[in-house]
Amino acid sequence: MNKRLIYILLPLLIFAACRSDKQKDVDFSKEFEVPDSVIYDGELEISEQAMDDIVQNISSPVEIAALIKAVGVPFSKDYLATTDFVDDYNTSFEKAIGLGIFGADLGYQNMYNKTGGVIDYISAIRTLADGIRVGQFFDFTTLKRLATNNQNLDSLMYISVQNFNQMDRYLRENNRSNLSSLIVAGVWIESIYLLGEVIKEAPNAELSEKIGEQKIILSNLMLLLKNYERDPSIKELIDDLSEIQEIYKDVTITYEKGEPEAIEQDGMLIIIQNDKQYIEISNETLFKIIDKTVEVRNKIIQL
Amino acid sequence: MRNIYIIFALFAIILLGNSNKLSAQSGQELVDICGMIAGDATYLKDFQIKLEAAKPGEEPPRAAYSVVLSKNTKYRFSICNSKDFSGEAILQIYDNNRLLGTTYLVATGKSYPSVDLKCSQTGVYHIFTSFKEGKQGMAVVLLSFVERL
Repeated sequence: MNKRLIYILLPLLIFAACRSDKQKDVDFSKEFEVPDSVIYDGELEISEQAMDDIVQNISSPVEIAALIKAVGVPFSKDYLATTDFVDDYNTSFEKAIGLGIFGADLGYQNMYNKTGGVIDYISAIRTLADGIRVGQFFDFTTLKRLATNNQNLDSLMYISVQNFNQMDRYLRENNRSNLSSLIVAGVWIESIYLLGEVIKEAPNAELSEKIGEQKIILSNLMLLLKNYERDPSIKELIDDLSEIQEIYKDVTITYEKGEPEAIEQDGMLIIIQNDKQYIEISNETLFKIIDKTVEVRNKIIQL
Repeated sequence: MRNIYIIFALFAIILLGNSNKLSAQSGQELVDICGMIAGDATYLKDFQIKLEAAKPGEEPPRAAYSVVLSKNTKYRFSICNSKDFSGEAILQIYDNNRLLGTTYLVATGKSYPSVDLKCSQTGVYHIFTSFKEGKQGMAVVLLSFVERL
């Protein structure tokens, strides 16, 4: 009897031990049921690997917000997208692109250490992230605590950027790159919107040039989105962005090659690229791009 | 008596198995460590790399990523190697068609845990990571924003 009991209990014990051990590397794809509507099962124009090559760091809220701050433009909450209609973001398309938009706004607020309105944004992000089943990567509790206590603001930035990266990685690894691409598109649209609003209030050559160099970024983003153009919502977004891309044809970018050099400074290796890149953008073109971006962005956030 | 030996052996296997898992560094732990190495720079992206050892007579395997970087910006690439593998990661940064720099200088034999890039051209850059001598390895490469130039 005892012998039989041992043979029954031991495999159970081993099984239980293995299961608890895996808690650290949870495979969320098996833990959460993902509705078919959020899995892209259409044919891909380019391979997932090639897409990995394209997608990284296409739009970074940190860099744009840092630039806006560096040119000395004060923070304005008027630029931010309203979170009032977050419950009206019904489709996966709306939720994913909304995530990108609110993510960019969160980065902008974090850069200025403005935690007053941050909770509305992290709440909106949680709602949308839950809506496309990636809420498990968004550490709402920690972010809320950091924002409420107005302390350790570097961690607020670090954790929020990292959470977005984790969502992005998970989506790409689970055949949901369409949503990952939409988040990237949302970040890009809102970042250009923020730049445009700042330029309208305080014209600045560096910011105008930043809008001009987005010609390169937009072409990469379009390449990414065109992979999913069979999805009618994404097709509509591509059409909207194509209109912006059309305006960008009037932006001229020229290059002058230089020899890269490596120097060691205080034990740190520094590579200096030494290339030159010239961006020519007229005021007329600049404002056409800004106005069109406002139109596209407001359509998305349902204004 | 035989049963006791079986039970003892199975418990030993379970305990050893668990102790290995507990000491193994996860990619996320490496990202956090790397964040500390990056210092004041603001975290942007991380690339978690795990490569098998090179097969005899073959080139060391390498991981490739492409990132968009902006002109007039200083970026930092920091590397953290997992203590669970012997491989030491080497990073190479390319623009469209040429090598801009690497964390391992063959001429001096010196390795750097991080490298800063003063980027002067907005565009796509390619990051290649391999492990010295083609050893098996696991590492995290962290991309951070240092400052506007």
